[in-house]
Amino acid sequence: MIMEKSAVSWEPSERLVMIVGNYGSGKTEISVNLALKLAAAGKKVVIADLDIVNPYFRSREVGAVMEAAGIEVVIPPGEQQYADLPIVVPRIKAMLEPAGEDFSIFDVGGDDVGARMLSSFRQALASGPYSLLQVINSRRPFTDTVEGCVKMMRMIEESSRLKVSGLIVNSHLVDQTTVDVVVEGYELATKVSKVSGVPVEFVTAMGTLAQAPEILALDVPIFAIERNMLPPWLRTGEKQDSAEERPENVPAARTKPIFRS
Amino acid sequence: MAKVLMKGNEAIGEAAIRAGCIHFFGYPITPQSEVPEYLSRRLPEVGGLYLQAESEVAASNMIYGAAGVGVRVLTTSSSPGVSLMAEGLSYIAACELPCVLVNIMRAGPGLGGILPAQGDYLQATKGTAHGDFNLIVLAPSSVQEAVDLMLVAFELAEKYRNPVILIGDGMIGQMMEPVEFPEVKVGKPLGPTDYALTGCKGRERRIVNSLYLDAQKLNDHNEKLKAKFELITENEQRWEYYNTEEPFDVLLTGFGMMARICKTAVDVLKGEGINIGLFRPITAKPFPYKPLRELIDRSKRVLCVEMNMGQMLLDVQFAAEGTVPIDFYGKAGGIIPSVEDVVEQLRAAIAKAGGSRSGK
Repeated sequence: MIMEKSAVSWEPSERLVMIVGNYGSGKTEISVNLALKLAAAGKKVVIADLDIVNPYFRSREVGAVMEAAGIEVVIPPGEQQYADLPIVVPRIKAMLEPAGEDFSIFDVGGDDVGARMLSSFRQALASGPYSLLQVINSRRPFTDTVEGCVKMMRMIEESSRLKVSGLIVNSHLVDQTTVDVVVEGYELATKVSKVSGVPVEFVTAMGTLAQAPEILALDVPIFAIERNMLPPWLRTGEKQDSAEERPENVPAARTKPIFRS
Repeated sequence: MAKVLMKGNEAIGEAAIRAGCIHFFGYPITPQSEVPEYLSRRLPEVGGLYLQAESEVAASNMIYGAAGVGVRVLTTSSSPGVSLMAEGLSYIAACELPCVLVNIMRAGPGLGGILPAQGDYLQATKGTAHGDFNLIVLAPSSVQEAVDLMLVAFELAEKYRNPVILIGDGMIGQMMEPVEFPEVKVGKPLGPTDYALTGCKGRERRIVNSLYLDAQKLNDHNEKLKAKFELITENEQRWEYYNTEEPFDVLLTGFGMMARICKTAVDVLKGEGINIGLFRPITAKPFPYKPLRELIDRSKRVLCVEMNMGQMLLDVQFAAEGTVPIDFYGKAGGIIPSVEDVVEQLRAAIAKAGGSRSGK
């Protein structure tokens, strides 16, 4: 039997991990998976949802699941968490300074627009190292070519005033992902790496794909991910309509974690 | 062409390009802002025009103008923005100009919220704006279907010289699914363009106008629009039956993404040996009353589920003509009824219908 390259075969080299990339490249899934796996390995993890761009499918939706795993989840308070406003709570800035946690993960919003949020961290980050990881899915518009990925990298770097330090290959078509799609993403990222000098950190693979020999044969770590952000028709056995159990002032839509049971 | 992973909003923008539409006028609003965002990048690549208007009122008049000169044109918005476009849509329909509008619906009324809802069904199908006119209303339930229906939307708009609106809840716009696109069509109109203002040198002058001061002429114009919609009703109804081969006591109805959740609920009960039929309109207008009635006549009870307070319900009641009891279950404000919620409502409906027929 092939030894599984397990989730923790990749661990961030720095305490500060910022996940950037274009819209829908998979930043949130990767941030959530990374937080959960590091926590499962006994690490103390804080995650901040910095997505100010898009109000749907954000990591705050799986906040309860992460909190249950001992992860500190930093999101705007109360009703503001459902807004698409640039709200930065003080805790986010405090995360930049070491305070006992092993890893601080920042799930950043899409494109250069989302990454602009990071530019306010520049001074605090000047003193210490950080990982700024760009997620690439070769099946997404605008990042299906080397030029597109490098352009996205430059746009993110310009607006965040930080340097991308690594690439995450996250090529997939959700439940229609094949080995070829993952390998294609790896090959694209390798070319991007050659042009930009930024190394490939790891390749993600969902479910059984993480065991595929062709994928395990790649010369970078394989990061097995689970799909946490499920659409409503794939979530069964989960009641949404539970007004009587709802804590005051909390909309019913988010009292239940959006998470595969 | 290889499959790509796209958000509904991006896919809608790309589908418009594939349909040969390279002119977009609009204004950003959550949760549809990725459509203008995407097109602002893509349209310059294909030699098209992307223009962000100063408001939705302006955008609707810009598409009125573009359609008037015979250009294939798109605008997209979300609920409050569509309300602002109402005036322009009435003018466009009155002038019998083809154009496509997309409403990625958010929770209302008023400013409401930015989460998904289906609260604009009646606005799209019954009361878009002043006067007697009809939109053709398409309601996709997946990203791929949104792409396919965008192509249909432009075809119907030009075939009948009538505005077409595609309605999807915020989730359709925001979720990502693998999609396939057809090759780009040549950007020429599909139907005759003898109405278009292209410069009258060497031919008779054409006028695009919705002002008819003469009562008889305006009545005749209304009769013409009515006859056109009767033709559309006869030719263009689209719908889906799901799990309707075997007998069932309870019929479930829903549209758009809600119908997709309903499908899973049907599958869950099927797994328990309980058969539920599902009806989904794809054209919310012209609504497929007869195909729905055929299923209603085979059922003891109907459950209508929507992400609103009961809007398509009126069409279901109209189709049933009081022959069977109709239950309604709906949530608004951005709450999406879950599979389990629908299953529970179905169990209650089955109990009221007096037992159920087995799926076997």
